[in-house]
Amino acid sequence: MKVLEAQAAVLTNYEVLQHLTQQKERYKQRKRRGPPNLETVVRELIQYLQSYPNPLSQKPSTYTPDCISRLLERLSPYELSKGEVVMILNLRPASVAALNTVIEEMAERFSDEQQEEMVAIISEVLGQFDAAQGSANDTGDGAEANAS
Amino acid sequence: MFILTKFADLVQISPEDFSKHSIVAIEDNINAKYANKVVQKIGLCISLFDVLWTSEGLIGHGTGLVNVNVEFRMIVFRPFKGEVMLGRIRSSTPSGIHLRTDFFDDIFVPYEELPQGAEYNHSEQIWIWNFDEERLFYDNHEMVRFQVIDEEWHDQTPVGPTQAEDTPAKTPYKIKGSMAAEGLGVCLWWDGA
Repeated sequence: MKVLEAQAAVLTNYEVLQHLTQQKERYKQRKRRGPPNLETVVRELIQYLQSYPNPLSQKPSTYTPDCISRLLERLSPYELSKGEVVMILNLRPASVAALNTVIEEMAERFSDEQQEEMVAIISEVLGQFDAAQGSANDTGDGAEANAS
Repeated sequence: MFILTKFADLVQISPEDFSKHSIVAIEDNINAKYANKVVQKIGLCISLFDVLWTSEGLIGHGTGLVNVNVEFRMIVFRPFKGEVMLGRIRSSTPSGIHLRTDFFDDIFVPYEELPQGAEYNHSEQIWIWNFDEERLFYDNHEMVRFQVIDEEWHDQTPVGPTQAEDTPAKTPYKIKGSMAAEGLGVCLWWDGA
């Protein structure tokens, strides 16, 4: 084994989920399975990516293949770093408080209006949870925790 | 959270796999070797992403194995320092909170990385954050947001007979997290508002 390039690219959660679901479909069509260790990690990872409050848990999905480039375009005036945009794509912050966690020194870099604008752009491009769905999922989680 | 890493490796296809297409045999071989395993200083390998290049298959003397040199890219779990992620509380001890995700278990938030006013409740064995007269609980199984601040690597290659036999194996890759900043901690606290 030789590592040629430690980090050839960064992937967002959405791209990883796309790849894994496509791989799963392909295996199903050919009626074959991957090695057991692959099956385990893929099953667990899909479960992680599709559990609330991960934005990818929302059905039907609000993410589309072109939403990444659209978001990059809309957020380009704010000059965010690559890591910050990746986190926005993965976590989809729905409020200024949530955005504060992913953007470094947000209060110094951006005015209150700009912060609100960014939250609006994110929910416009990437969608958001409906209030009803969020609370329904919460009670589901609660019941599960009680049962265990 | 995920990166692509480019590897070069020798894949040995055994005769019972000759009925498969070469690319399928190579894919299965690579996944069997790498998936769900940690490569030191790289991260936790998830799955093959694509195959970039393969050599001709060569058969050596003595075995029927077909040797193929392959260059490929893997999807690797390797959150960067400062990244904010979701995780679940696994257990709490006076030294801090253990977190997990469904596929990765070794995330630890030491007590000094909890927000000010956090205290450990020994009878309940959970951490509690006293904030403005309110008591907020870090319950087990609760979804939390945390920030990656450090990582620890332990190479598991055997060092030889000098190693004591009963030393517990250290986890190969461990993430240290923080929940001190505003907006981090149990998701319900922040999303409900």
